Amino acid sequence: MGLVSGMVMGMVFGIALMTGWKYMMEHRSRKRVAKAVDIKLLSSLNRDDMKKICGENCPEWISFPVYEQVKWLNKQLNKLWPFVADAAEAVIKESVEPLLEEYRPPGITSLKFSKLSLGTVAPKIEGIRVQSLKEGQITMDIDLRWGGDPSIILAVEAALVASIPIQLKDLKVFTVVRAIFQLTDEIPCISAVVVALLAEPKPRIDYTLKAVGGSLTAIPGLSDMIDDTVNTIVMDMLQWPHRIVVPIGGIPVDTSELELKPVGLLKVTIVKANDLKNMELIGKSDPYVTVHIRPLFKVKTKVVNNNLNPTWNQTFNLIAEDKETQSLILEVFDQDIGQDKRLGIAKMPLIELEAETPKEVELRLYPSLDMLKIKDKKDRGTITVQVFYHEFTKEEQIAALEEEKRILEERKKLKEAGVIGSTMDALDGAASLVGSGITGGAGLVGSGIGAGASFVGSGFGAVGSGLSKAGKFMGRTITGSSTTKRNGASTPVHPQENGGAKPV
Amino acid sequence: MGFVSMIMGFCGFGVGISSGLVAGYFLFIYFQPSDVKNPTIRPLVEQDSKTLQQLLPEIPFWVKNPDYDRVDWLNKFLEVMWPYLDKAICKTAKNIATPIISEQIPKYKIESLEFEALTLGALPPTFQGMKVYLTEEKELIMEPALKWAGNPNVTVAVKAYGLKATVQVVDLQVFAVPRITLKPLVPSFPCFANIVVSLMEKPHVDFGLKLGGADLMSIPGLYGFVQETIKDQVANMYLWPKTLEVQVLDPTKAMKKPVGILHAKVVRALKLKKKDLLGASDPYVKLKLTETKAPSKKTTVKHKNLNPEWNEEFSMVVKDPETQALELLVYDWEQVGKHEKMGMNVVPLKDLPPDESKTLTLPLLKNMDPNDVQNDKVRGQIEVELTYKPFKDEDLPKDFEESGEVQKAPDGTPPGGGALVVTVHEAQDVEGKHHTNPYVRIICKGEERKTKQVKKNRDPRWDEDFTFMMEEPPLKDKLHVEVLSTSTRIGLLHPKETLGYVDISLADVVSNKRINDKFHLIDSKNGRIQIELQWQTS
Repeated sequence: MGLVSGMVMGMVFGIALMTGWKYMMEHRSRKRVAKAVDIKLLSSLNRDDMKKICGENCPEWISFPVYEQVKWLNKQLNKLWPFVADAAEAVIKESVEPLLEEYRPPGITSLKFSKLSLGTVAPKIEGIRVQSLKEGQITMDIDLRWGGDPSIILAVEAALVASIPIQLKDLKVFTVVRAIFQLTDEIPCISAVVVALLAEPKPRIDYTLKAVGGSLTAIPGLSDMIDDTVNTIVMDMLQWPHRIVVPIGGIPVDTSELELKPVGLLKVTIVKANDLKNMELIGKSDPYVTVHIRPLFKVKTKVVNNNLNPTWNQTFNLIAEDKETQSLILEVFDQDIGQDKRLGIAKMPLIELEAETPKEVELRLYPSLDMLKIKDKKDRGTITVQVFYHEFTKEEQIAALEEEKRILEERKKLKEAGVIGSTMDALDGAASLVGSGITGGAGLVGSGIGAGASFVGSGFGAVGSGLSKAGKFMGRTITGSSTTKRNGASTPVHPQENGGAKPV
Repeated sequence: MGFVSMIMGFCGFGVGISSGLVAGYFLFIYFQPSDVKNPTIRPLVEQDSKTLQQLLPEIPFWVKNPDYDRVDWLNKFLEVMWPYLDKAICKTAKNIATPIISEQIPKYKIESLEFEALTLGALPPTFQGMKVYLTEEKELIMEPALKWAGNPNVTVAVKAYGLKATVQVVDLQVFAVPRITLKPLVPSFPCFANIVVSLMEKPHVDFGLKLGGADLMSIPGLYGFVQETIKDQVANMYLWPKTLEVQVLDPTKAMKKPVGILHAKVVRALKLKKKDLLGASDPYVKLKLTETKAPSKKTTVKHKNLNPEWNEEFSMVVKDPETQALELLVYDWEQVGKHEKMGMNVVPLKDLPPDESKTLTLPLLKNMDPNDVQNDKVRGQIEVELTYKPFKDEDLPKDFEESGEVQKAPDGTPPGGGALVVTVHEAQDVEGKHHTNPYVRIICKGEERKTKQVKKNRDPRWDEDFTFMMEEPPLKDKLHVEVLSTSTRIGLLHPKETLGYVDISLADVVSNKRINDKFHLIDSKNGRIQIELQWQTS
């Protein structure tokens, strides 16, 4: 009797004990999970959450801008700046000088930093925004403002003119830097960082140029030329969709996904222009058009003499890398002795185009793309173009990519083969410069003929050897077939013609 | 009879309780799922006031205190990165642990020990605010408030004597306020040499430890004990002022302190090529060390001479003999226009034996590209005599090693006295009425020293050291620091201006050994100057 009741009681007690333990376990587990949830919730709060928590007593020091403020980072940056500046100077010099060399306009034989100091004022990070736009990627936008006091002196050498030190003063940079982190399963979990400047809002880089111990007018058009070089570098290297891809972590990773790739082909036919502005005193303007998507790959129509309503009917093929953000830029120039004057510029965002459908549009010409800079409201005429956008298939894309790679290699080879720097630059330089005649840079080559003699002369030998190669190269740049070749022959896109024809 | 039944009763109770425990264990614990679920998270706005009330003690610091900054962007960053980080960390942990385990287990007669589950869960650590402190020293201090309430699942299965037991860690929660100090700051990336971490408070640690499915930590009393033990252990190691120091850069290298002096004697050049149209060239030599900002040195110009003899000596400060090189450039001097380069050569300093004079006769080249055909042309030769003298260890500036501590006074200090080292770091908001080209004049016991002038700058930085020798501690003296500006134009009105001054009592320095502070300037609107003072005794 006693045994059985004892056993029953013991059993009940034992089970009760276990139940109690289990209850304790669950209670503690619930508490921990609840806390975990709370902490998670509090890790990112927005305005509504704050209202809910604090009611009416929301502290005044809290605000919720789109770009989150980072006062602490700015404080640290201020303190760290003298050291960062010191460390960065060498890095910048090393990385930017080759760039300057690559994008240097042909009128200048050497462009180097003779002094580079970043000054005492640290950049300010106005805010940071983190988004996850794509699986496996973190997109971080950093709103950066720098109104610094750097001292940058460029040693500019133009043909036969002594080296002129040019100082960049009062540099101001306002831009939103976008950094995309590509994630991976291996430590440090980031396989590559993509850095670019957001195109919208447009990066603003202001500076004033000053010649040290001389005058800027020593080389005509120099300040424009430097402006243009800076613009081209920023536009063609840094501004979205162009980007810099930095692999991180020592693990070889395939970053080709992140690189900018050709996505489509834009066939542009420049039909005609109407009611162009007359820029000449005697007779009428001699208009021609340059077209580009990337400033590095510019093409140009033939010149129609003495006509304000010219018809060209010329077709070019251009490669697009990012349909969403890129635009086709059309510029009309008046060919002139000395500097070519710009008659107008028009822009057509590629996003407006439908793939595989031909379209004819009439675009209004403006004095400048920057609406703030437009002073006169005078009508500048219109330009009519036919466009046809073809989206690349996988195979075509690969082919186009190969083509681009080959072009780059060929360029390198040309450089190694001892084709003197200047010719080399005429190659890509002329393509960019002739078009980007905002500067009238092309005019400079002409006006500076006397001065440019040595440049042309040294270029000549190379032209001979490089001619065939270069011809091929230019043909490829425009990825054209028959049309391109015709154009190539009829228009002075060829750098050789630029260099060679003018002094004759 | 009653006694026997009582005995039986006890025995029965004993058997009953053990079988009851076992039955209860199997019933309530063993057969319950042991996997870790992700908690469901409802947006805060939808929560009722009761759950909100519970949440209040956890409100982040940045809401409560204006001196904390919100870092939700960092949280977002971590959140997106967390799944990847989780995998990477777990993989690494496994890789590290596996060899150690396989080496250790035979000693303990365990058959196998393996991770059945290893994941850090779906909830990332969060930063509930960030605070930074500004000091006058070369350091960055930040205090992130770190809270990690995760749902990790670490299950280890142990097999021994044919039995299998699992140990599971769940619901790990760690709250801590670490102070991260980056110091000293150095002028090469990543711009700091050490990371110093220490905890400002005892951390909060909570977790569940399940042995065979039963959470040991929920036994009353045990949890409190374990938590206290862990806290004390961690506190013993890392609670401020104890620190964990991680070196990132070798500080002596990163600082780029001078390590030696290069004496260069330009003897002569031979058979230089004629460059001028009329007459011979007018050569001179420019010497420059790579990777320095020091201006290049020049010899005199030897007019109309293609075999010039200079015999001029120069000395240059070397910071890194491994990578630096001496550039020798021969130029043709011109009255008008550009000085034309006649040739060049480069001598890497690592080729020079230390403390030994070496005479080199080098061919002049067009450039340093070995493939350039133009270099085959003969341009003449240059003869130089080079001696690299590294500083002996004892002359190496050591202040870096123990930054913050005061060094011994240099030799020759009178006994009882010492050396007063004044470092003029920087000034802010100094402004003159007519010009702002500030330099600092310091006067100590009638001895006067000046810094270099910084042109057109309201926030100049000098970073210059001055040493004053004293016969006795300057208990009653004052240091007069004055910021002055001179006009860059000569002979005009207002040639000189005072931008502000301050008198610093030296008695404090003697008793404190070292003072690094910002002083407000008198006779200046807003100006401040940062001065570091050290009193060094032998």
